[in-house]
Order: sequence, then C-alpha cells, then structure tokens
Amino acid sequence: MLKMTHITKVFRTDVVETHALRDFSLHVAEGEFVTVTGPSGCGKTTFLNIAGLLETASGGQYLLDGEDVSALNDYQRARMRNQKIGFIFQSFNLMPDLNLFDNVDVPLRYRGVKAAERKERVERALDAVGLLSRKKHLPAQLSGGQQQRVAIARALVGEPRFLLADEPTGNLDSNTAEGVMELLHEINNNGTTIIMVTHDVVLASRSARNIQILDGRIIDDRRAQQKAA
Amino acid sequence: MFFYYVRLALLSYRRNPVLSSLMVLAVAVGIGAYMVIFTMNYYMGGDPIPQKSDQLHHIQFDYGNPDIPNFEPPPQLTWIDATAMLEQTTAYPRTATSKFVAIIEPPGNEVRPFFVNGRGNSADFFSMFDVPFQYGSGWDRSADVNRDLVVVLSNELNERLFGGRDSTGETLVMHGMNFTVTGVMDRWQPAPKFYDVNNGSFDPVEEAYIPWELIISQELNRSGSTNCWQAPEGTGLQAFLNAECAWIQFWVELPDADARSDYSMLVDNYVAEQRSLGRMRMPVEQRLFNVNEWMIEQEVHPDETRILGALAGMLLAVCLLNTVGLLLSKFLGKAGEIGVRQALGAHRGSLFIQHLIEAGVIGAIGGVLGIGVAALGLEGIKVLIGSLLITEWMRLDLTVMALTIALAIVSTIIAGLYPIWRACNINPSVHLKSQ
Ligand SMILES: Nc1ncnc2c1ncn2[C@@H]1O[C@H](COP(=O)(O)OP(=O)(O)OP(=O)(O)O)[C@@H](O)[C@H]1O
Ligand SMILES: [Mg+2]
Repeated sequence: MLKMTHITKVFRTDVVETHALRDFSLHVAEGEFVTVTGPSGCGKTTFLNIAGLLETASGGQYLLDGEDVSALNDYQRARMRNQKIGFIFQSFNLMPDLNLFDNVDVPLRYRGVKAAERKERVERALDAVGLLSRKKHLPAQLSGGQQQRVAIARALVGEPRFLLADEPTGNLDSNTAEGVMELLHEINNNGTTIIMVTHDVVLASRSARNIQILDGRIIDDRRAQQKAA
Repeated sequence: MFFYYVRLALLSYRRNPVLSSLMVLAVAVGIGAYMVIFTMNYYMGGDPIPQKSDQLHHIQFDYGNPDIPNFEPPPQLTWIDATAMLEQTTAYPRTATSKFVAIIEPPGNEVRPFFVNGRGNSADFFSMFDVPFQYGSGWDRSADVNRDLVVVLSNELNERLFGGRDSTGETLVMHGMNFTVTGVMDRWQPAPKFYDVNNGSFDPVEEAYIPWELIISQELNRSGSTNCWQAPEGTGLQAFLNAECAWIQFWVELPDADARSDYSMLVDNYVAEQRSLGRMRMPVEQRLFNVNEWMIEQEVHPDETRILGALAGMLLAVCLLNTVGLLLSKFLGKAGEIGVRQALGAHRGSLFIQHLIEAGVIGAIGGVLGIGVAALGLEGIKVLIGSLLITEWMRLDLTVMALTIALAIVSTIIAGLYPIWRACNINPSVHLKSQ
C-alpha cells in the first residue's frame, strides 16, 4: 500500500536548514491501522503530509499503491488525493460558510460525481457518523466532537483506501475521543488502511502497530502480537 | 462546476461582507466614472449616419488669402461657388444649405408670433440624409428652381403650430409670406450634427426647412458663421453675394468610387477655372471629404473629452489597484480553506477557476452598481452642460450597459490575477497543521 524508502525532508529558510525527516523507511500494508507517536517537532506531520501528497520529499522514494509519486504532476497528485486518500486534521478544518452537507460534498465535487449519486453518498456518510439530521447546519453550530465526526464523514465519503489522521482526537475530551476512535476502528475493520498521528500513549498502545519517531527517524516499530518488522 | 463556483463566490462574499462590498464599490466607482466618459465619447465620436457616411461628401475649396499669415481655408462655400456647384451637375444628389432665422405668425390670436431657427436646403437634402418623416415628404427639385414657398416642419414645431396633426397642405405665415407645408419630420437628431459642424456640432436640428434659394430671393435673415478673406466690393446684398465670404455648407452624395473620382475631377476642373480668374489661391490637400473624414478634418470631437477620458482611466486604474489589494487580503485570508480543498482533491487549475469566478462575481456586482453610478454621472453632466448642447443622445443603451458589465468583469479579473496566482500557490501543508 505505502512504501517509503530512505525518504528525507529538508526545510530550508534563509537562516536554518531543518531536517524534518532523515532516512525514513516504512512499509504499510493494506488494511493496517498504524499509530505514529513522537515528541513535538520530530516530524510526524511532515511524514503525514508527504504520505498524503501535500508535500514532496527532498530525497528517497515513495510508492503509493505501487506508483512512484515523485513523477506525478500537480493535477495527478490532486487526483490521487481525491480518489485514494482521506484526511482528518486535528483542528477539523471544516469550511465555515458551507453547511454539513456541502462540506462533506466537497471531495465528490472534485471527482465530478453526478448530483443524485453525490446526495446519496453524502447522506450515507453523514448517517454513518450520526449527523444526518443536522445536514443543513453550519459547522459553528456543532460541538468539537460533532465537527470532527463531520470531518470523518468528509474523509470517508469518497471511500478512500487510505486514511491519514493528524491527532484527530487532540482537541477533544476523552469521552468524545473514545467515540471517534471507535468510529476509526470500525472504518479500519471495513478494510481502510489508517495512519494516525497521536500524542495519546494509551491510544497508541491499543493499536495493532505503533511507530515511534524521534528527530525525523523511526526509532521503534512495534506490532501488538508480532515482533517488530 | 461553474454554478458551484458561483455559489461559493456568493458564500465567500457573505463571509466578509465589508471587505467584499468595498471591492464592489471600488469597481463600481471606477467603472461608472469610466463609462460616463466612454458614453460621451461613444456618441460624440460615433458615426452619425453609418449607412451612408462614406457616400456623403463635403467640398473644401482652396480658399484664403496668401497675404494673411496662418490663414486656415474656411470649410464652407461662397455663394458664387455654391450656386455654381448646384448647376455643375445634377447627376448626383446634392444640397447647398445654410441657416436662417424668421418670425412665424401663428394662425388665430392665441399664440404670439415667435422666432424659429430655419434651414435653407435643396430638395435632395431629405433623401441624402435619410431624414425620417412623420407626415408628407420634402419637395422636389422643381420647387428649388421655381423658388416655391414650401416648408418642412420639425415635429416639435408641428406640435406647436398644428397640435401635432397631419399639417401637410396647410399654410403658415413665416417672414410675412405664406408657406405651404409639404411634410413633417419625425424626431431627428444626428449627433454630431455632421451636415453643419461649423455652427455647433451638437446643436439641435432646425425647426423649419425651405428651398435654399429663398434665403436670398426673399431676403431672409441669414444666420450661422460667415468667413470673409477679402472685403466685398461695394455694399448691399449683391456685393456680399459676390464677395469672398464663405457661409454655405455643400454636400453631394457619391454612391461609389467611380462617382467620387468623377465628381472629384469636376471639382478640380472648376478650381482650375476659378484660378485662371484669379481666385482660389491657397491650395488645399484634399477637396472632397466623406462624413467621417469631415468630422476629423473639422475636429468635431472636443479635446476636453480626451482629457476627461484620461482622468477617468486613471481613476479606474486607482480603483482597480485598490481592488488588487483587497482581493489579495481576501484570498490570502482563505489560505486555510484553500489548503483543505487541496487536500480533498483540488488541483491548481480548479482553484484558479474558483477564484477567477469569485473575482468575476465581484466584478459583475460592481458592474451592475457601476451602471447606476454611470447613470447618475450622466445626469450630472446633463445638468452641467445641458444648456450648451443637446444631451438627449447621452443615455445608457443596452450596448453600453452590457459593455459596462463586461468591462467590470474583465478588469476585476485582471486585477485579481496576481491575488489568484498567490492563492493557487499556497502550500497546503503549512496551513493545515493547526489553527
Ligand atoms: N514549512 C516548514 N518550514 C520550515 N520548517 C518546518 C516546516 N514545517 C515543519 N518544519 C520543521 O520540521 C520539523 C518537524 O515538524 P512537524 O510539523 O513534522 O512536527 P510534528 O512532529 O508534527 O510536531 P507536533 O507534534 O508539534 O505537531 C520541525 O522542526 C518544524 O519546525
Ligand atoms: Mg504535527
């Protein structure tokens, strides 16, 4: 599914050079649920952004679904994001002017799905997160937990095979976070590969696989029942 | 997708209404001011008789006095030359024409006698200039020759004298003589008033039209400009008529290039003949001018409109620069949303179109408002200069309104290009991290 070999990422500004990722190699198989942990600034978000084609690596090779993404242009990368990848952000990032329906609708618009099918899929996705009855509401009218569930619906409406979540529970209290985690596990059980960055050690310890990053490198890759790869 | 983007643009307008309204206002003021000047130039610079402007020709003779330095040859004709040209050939429609004023004595005692501005012209005048008639028609060439007392009325004068009814065949007393009405014109106001640009190119048309020869034979009061470059020999009317004084406009209709070269030869021969008599000693470069050439030669379009045009252009530029800044801050304020859209599958092209349409929608709203600004501006100008010239042609027709909106959209999009480019090149990852 995802295969990174010797990936590096360097941020250059006039004064400093930050090595956000160094010699980063990782293989994630289809259907896995991987949590990523590490101290602040170690490169977790950078890794997700590269994995999600929002950022390009400075070096190394990245194969997504067997395809070398470094050769893709902006249009092809956008298409790949749209069709294969779902994103969930710590701060939800819903669009404030759009109601819930229209928020969830966005990925399907970019895919050019017909109106009738869009309606059906958006409603199904909202139903799955228990918010169908509020489809006309604006994000600001919802609680944080509800907003994150809308964001999940939006990430899932296009039925991506690959879900990237950057601290999806970071802004939620533990009860709400629990609900969101259940939802993610359910999604994973349906076959979607998930990579989730988290600060929560308890959540990490419960996942089937946890990788730990320090200073842009993987320092631990632990699977729950098996030995490290 | 187009309507989706239009909807997004409207939602985005609503999100920061103050900023958006400022942009709309900037566009409206800039475009509105520009369109006021444009409308003025459009009509003042327009072709007053497009279907015939290349067939109607005015004659310029080699008039002047070599002893007077910097003497510009007067554009009108002397009586000698006008009558000669009328007689040279009748193969082409032609008219000598000049203005007069006269007193009309209305029938009955209700209305007091009043002055009218009149025009003497040859029979062909009406067909040459496509003058529209409400009732009746002009007169024919025999009336010119016979000095018949016939008159064509403007529809305002017909309203005043006959209450707007069909007055053909009725008589009216003008200059103490009985004139028979042959026709009543429909509303007619060429702008510029191309057939007589020496006497106010945007003046109203005359109210009464009679055979031109009557001005002399009945000794009516001539009016309009007169240029003399040699003192008359003797006194009295005949001396004035024979003098080097130009006061008559002369037009001929030449349907094609052959006719033009034919007539041009005729004019050249006439000039050569007159030269041998010691007249026409100031050579001119061109003797036949069609309507548009004549408008340029006579500098009908006032310089002021050009200066105003430049000022309006500058105002528009300032307003658009302002719009660039406002759009930039608006689009960069949406960096987070742009990042999310990229994550969800928007490529640069689709972001570009989305923001192009957003700028276009602002431009369109600004354009609609700009029509209002332009309409107000034109009303203001009419109040300012309405007493100096005819301004009824200064109005916003559909063409001008469509142009206003189109110009508003196009210029807002141009103003938006840099902000749009910046918006599309926002690095999504930076803005997604956290808020
Ligand atoms: N756009 C950028 N320009 C320069 N440096 C950057 C940029 N993005 C990230 N960095 C640097 O790269 C390093 C890794 O950043 P990253 O955001 O991946 O950390 P993180 O592990 O997600 O941290 P956190 O847990 O606080 O979110 C940091 O040192 C950061 O300062
Ligand atoms: Mg991070």
